[in-house]
Amino acid sequence: MLKYNRLAFIAILGSLMLSGCAILRDTSQTEAYNQFAIRAAQAQLWNEAIFRWKQVINIDPDDSKAHNNLGVAYEAIGNMDAAIAAYQRAAELEPDNKYYRLNYRRCRIHLRRSGVDDEAALHVEEEEPPTEQ
Amino acid sequence: MQTAKKIGILLTILTLCGCGKSVTRVSIPVKVESEIDISRYSNFAVLPFVPEKEAARNEKLPEDIGEEIAAILRRGLARQKHFEVVSTQETARLLTGETVGEDWLTDTKRLNQLGEYFEVKGIIIGSFRFYSDSRPRRYYGERYSVQRQRYVMDYQDYMQKTYLLSLRVMIIDVETEQIIWDKAYRRSTAEAHTIGSFIFSQAGPQANTMRELGKRAASEFTRQISPHYEQEDRYLVN
Repeated sequence: MLKYNRLAFIAILGSLMLSGCAILRDTSQTEAYNQFAIRAAQAQLWNEAIFRWKQVINIDPDDSKAHNNLGVAYEAIGNMDAAIAAYQRAAELEPDNKYYRLNYRRCRIHLRRSGVDDEAALHVEEEEPPTEQ
Repeated sequence: MQTAKKIGILLTILTLCGCGKSVTRVSIPVKVESEIDISRYSNFAVLPFVPEKEAARNEKLPEDIGEEIAAILRRGLARQKHFEVVSTQETARLLTGETVGEDWLTDTKRLNQLGEYFEVKGIIIGSFRFYSDSRPRRYYGERYSVQRQRYVMDYQDYMQKTYLLSLRVMIIDVETEQIIWDKAYRRSTAEAHTIGSFIFSQAGPQANTMRELGKRAASEFTRQISPHYEQEDRYLVN
């Protein structure tokens, strides 16, 4: 009985701590910028989104999400060199993230089809899009 | 104790859901290059399309329908800034006395001469096959039965008439006499008929359906040979 109580207490405590972390993260400035930029991107306001993600990177240069999202925005406005650089940086910071890899690969495939990127993307294969969470 | 356990599990699940990275899918415009060398093939003459004679199932159509398809294609290509197209009037004037037949499709020498005459880099020519296929169909649904006081399964028989257009488009390089593009575009549309309307549809004119399918096929061809933008998905991480 005592054992179960202790376990339940630990679980509640852990949950509260984690939810606290999550709340803290959501209310941070970079997170607010990121959310705003995503809304701007959904409205096709890519320059505004780029401005916001650059601000995120100024605050936290190792924010992999911002680099990835910035890559998407650069690709949308046709700045392919900057897009590749941003995707590469995101992949460096978080090599196991499937979304970064997917965006990067699709960008390389697109460049290869356009005849811009001949050699580097030769072995790039399209992978199945992951399910959205 | 049980309540505390349940709350603990619930909170853990909720927290884990909250901590997980979510993504937003966005569509971005991606430039797709032309499938032909547009720096080389910048001006075209479009010749009237010819009906495929071997296809015995071709519907009865007006004789100038091939010219209409060519005109649709000309209009589509002329809207692209990369291409110049010989106008319909100019083409008709230069082809006075000539009848474009199925033998022209393979006669690259003649097309080469014609291309030089038109002063273009490429000649667009092709053939079409238009036919319909009718099949009886049964639609299952539900209807309210007053006698039984409930919905009952019911069906209705109808005729489904499908119109099919197969448009073959070729581009011939005037200089080398080579066929640089040869693709068939198939488009279809279906109509549901009762027996009465089906009989009328058999006798009625089908040129409008043909024109509509021709427009769709021509626009697909134009899209392939012109640089254009397509939408592609990317993932923004929240």
